[in-house]
Amino acid sequence: MHTPWWRNRRLLPLLVQAAVGLVVLVMIAYLLGNLVRNLSAAGLLLSWRWLNLPAGFDISESLLPFNAELPYWRALLAGLVNTVRVVLIALVGATLLGTVVGTAAFSSNGLLRRLSCTYVELIRNVPLLLQLLFWYFVVFLSLPDGSAAIQLPWMVLAKSGLHLGSPQLVNGVWQGSLRITLEFAALLTGLIIHSGAFIAEVVRGGVAAVPPGQWEAARSLGLHAGQTLSRIVLPQALRVIVPALNSQYISLAKNSSLAVACGYSDLYSVAETTLNQTGRSVEVVLILLGTYLAMDLVISLVMNRLNRLVQIQER
Amino acid sequence: MTSPTTAADPGVVMIEARAVEKWYPNGFHALRGVDLTVHQGEVVVIMGPSGSGKSTFLRTFNALEDFQKGSIVVDGIELSDDVRRIDAIRREVGMVFQQFNLFPHLSVLDNLTLAPTLVRHRSKAEVQRQALELLARVGIHEQAHKFPGQLSGGQQQRVAIARSLCMEPRLLLFDEPTSALDPEMVQEVLMVMQELAKEGMTMVVVTHEVRFARQVADRVVLMADGEVVEIAPPERFFTAPQHPRSRQFLNQIS
Amino acid sequence: MNRPRALTNRLHRELFATPLDGLITVALLIGLVFALKALLHWSLTQADWVVIQANSTLLAVGRYPLNQQWRLWLLTALLCGAAGISWGLLRGAGWPRSDRLAAAVLLVLSLLLPVGLGLAAPVQQRWWGLTALLLVGRWAAGRWGGDIPKRGRRLLPLTWPLLYLLGLGLIGGGLGLMTVRPSQWGGLLLTLTEASFAISVCCPLGIALALGRRSELPLLRWGSTLYIEFIRGAPLITLLFLGQNILGFLLPGGLAPDRVWRAAWILTFFAAAYVAEAVRAGLAALPRGQWEAARSLGLNMLQTLQHVVLPQALRVALPAIVGQFITLLQDTTLLSLIGLLDLLGVARAVMANPEFLGRNAEVYLVLAILFWCCCAALGLGSRSLERRLNRQHLRSQP
Repeated sequence: MHTPWWRNRRLLPLLVQAAVGLVVLVMIAYLLGNLVRNLSAAGLLLSWRWLNLPAGFDISESLLPFNAELPYWRALLAGLVNTVRVVLIALVGATLLGTVVGTAAFSSNGLLRRLSCTYVELIRNVPLLLQLLFWYFVVFLSLPDGSAAIQLPWMVLAKSGLHLGSPQLVNGVWQGSLRITLEFAALLTGLIIHSGAFIAEVVRGGVAAVPPGQWEAARSLGLHAGQTLSRIVLPQALRVIVPALNSQYISLAKNSSLAVACGYSDLYSVAETTLNQTGRSVEVVLILLGTYLAMDLVISLVMNRLNRLVQIQER
Repeated sequence: MTSPTTAADPGVVMIEARAVEKWYPNGFHALRGVDLTVHQGEVVVIMGPSGSGKSTFLRTFNALEDFQKGSIVVDGIELSDDVRRIDAIRREVGMVFQQFNLFPHLSVLDNLTLAPTLVRHRSKAEVQRQALELLARVGIHEQAHKFPGQLSGGQQQRVAIARSLCMEPRLLLFDEPTSALDPEMVQEVLMVMQELAKEGMTMVVVTHEVRFARQVADRVVLMADGEVVEIAPPERFFTAPQHPRSRQFLNQIS
Repeated sequence: MNRPRALTNRLHRELFATPLDGLITVALLIGLVFALKALLHWSLTQADWVVIQANSTLLAVGRYPLNQQWRLWLLTALLCGAAGISWGLLRGAGWPRSDRLAAAVLLVLSLLLPVGLGLAAPVQQRWWGLTALLLVGRWAAGRWGGDIPKRGRRLLPLTWPLLYLLGLGLIGGGLGLMTVRPSQWGGLLLTLTEASFAISVCCPLGIALALGRRSELPLLRWGSTLYIEFIRGAPLITLLFLGQNILGFLLPGGLAPDRVWRAAWILTFFAAAYVAEAVRAGLAALPRGQWEAARSLGLNMLQTLQHVVLPQALRVALPAIVGQFITLLQDTTLLSLIGLLDLLGVARAVMANPEFLGRNAEVYLVLAILFWCCCAALGLGSRSLERRLNRQHLRSQP
């Protein structure tokens, strides 16, 4: 029996797809056409050779040696290294902080529980950028300098930076040992405290997902709260926590791009400067998108491996 | 309930399935050439071991499953890829599921009135009146404004039956309607189905309930491995099955 | 009689159950008292709140022309009235405890805040008027709302989108009103406009993407997946950057829309991907039997989606969706990094003013409190909405 094509339930999906595909293709072709025309009018057609031109700007801090005469690609690489540096340390710090705060939510001490909840609620509802600016401008930039600097047993907090080890005061300037710039410190602090709150929620959710019978069984076997948490509950909670941590880590890696507000030369900040100088918007944006995407993939890969490790204990 | 005007005419064929074959996308041959004819007013019970394809076969009648070969004619409309035909068939064929599938975010009354108002474009007031009558017939009248989550399994299934009846179908399909119920609630649902059968509703029921089949069915169909093994009236099927596979099945369930 | 005894018992149990607990409690209390004392001391003696008072208009509406600001007041009045009436219609005639609490809080705020912020007398009066409008609307709608015929009640939710469009018209101008270009919008006005636009448009877009991602048509599925994964892998600042720099190249000649609208659309496309993921989870949570029951009753795809699938899926997705709204509101602060004068952008400009040098802490604190209140209110609203919706739903297992 003949079914007209517009009522045929096998044909209709194909037709819908074809129509949608056509519309999308036409739109993309139109936009790309405009893009090529406008770019060539500005003399900015896609090319990568400009990456070898000297950068002409300095980077405030960098693990790799850098100066204004080195090419753009070296600048972007230095920015990437800076990003990876802050992200790795922030990941560790935020995880530690989040774990402590998250497990504190189950402490027998009522005050500790409430403080943990308050911390999470406070941090979650204030924008990250605002927090970063606060740490940089209000806290770190107002550190005293010279002899008035805050001197702790293992570091000195001064306007010139955080000096680890045992620095010496020479002519009013602290020298020697490892120096952490205020920009790095502010960014790191902000990221750790912000992500720490979200990771605390993840940890709390994971621990809450462990059946209460596990707590009771451990208690009846004579284990006290600390042992129960670390030996029995936390390993099981990890099954729920690790997948959720994946998205939090990716979020942290992306949030590191706000470093530009703290004056820290991460990848985004260097890229912005590069774009302002060369006008090469398309290439720079492609580099940015590609790099962050790659970072996300790497994080996901590692977390998936971790996930499999954690899940393997099931049958 | 629904057929006071048209007395069941056994001459009219409600379902005519011929040589129906179905393969799943993974290559599994679920239906291997099944035939079935169901007349108006008949109650046909399909039984068989799990994996025999009985639910799959049932669900081809209202196009919830498709099939690659053969033909199925339901209520005079042949099942094809024509969307309009499928919609027409679904209006006339009601289905009751093993998991009830009531809409939990709607009240019991709204569950019943949703489809008739949207699909048959009837007035809300008129549908509500009919819905309340149907709920009274299945014994749920007081719960009309409750939500499915507040009802027991047996009550939910009875509401599901009333919901199908509200569309005034000419044929009702039942896919293991009591398999998900606690034993004490099975009877209340079977009794409603028995009432329906007495009033002349055409029913095709996939079930394991032997007593129901013996008391209510006009014919019993045994399916195994995607094929129809035997079709016989219940007295003959349960006492003197012809096919060795039928005997094997009856031994398993008794 | 027994109350004080029970209280001390409870305190003992919660705070001093073990010696370690007791130690922690004491240490925390000392720390807290110290911190609070320092904060109070600072805010009362060293802090100079003039920076807020002097710049309140700037922070609120940016460089909106002074003689056109009556339009913003009109819009706020309309919104307050509509909010009050909606509140009243939802609650009915009585005043339950939570409503009375909310009304008390509003009255206190409207009396204290304008005075505390040092706003001029006419502005203070306008705030009182707005609060009165809100509360009177609530009372009137509660009292007479039931008398509205059923037909009218159906149409009432439409007033909000209409009001939204009217609001955009009032803010932007045109049709007899003097045009105020988006580059003149700033401060809280810009933040709320951008956030509200993105929130409104990202919902339908997100739902469409979620349905596309679950579709059986490979093109739609891959297209939606590609879009969602691309957005999720990119930092928002990069996308805003893309919007500001490349969007101009994608359109002919110099036809690029205003920077404010470019950013608004980028925010929308960004949020839509995350809303899509939340809705996808909601759709996945729906048992397949719901689809089958609806289709077997004869409902077509559109009716199934509208009456059966989406109401249930959106209920499940609601917390995640509102979480995304909260994130969106916070993300508007990134607009300051691409040169737009949203609330944070104006604040930074204020802080750069040599007249107010060194007043960073005051400004950041006020901004933080403002954002915290808005986001916390959204969160609270979401949780109470969730609880009300789940009251029916939770009982799906008898």
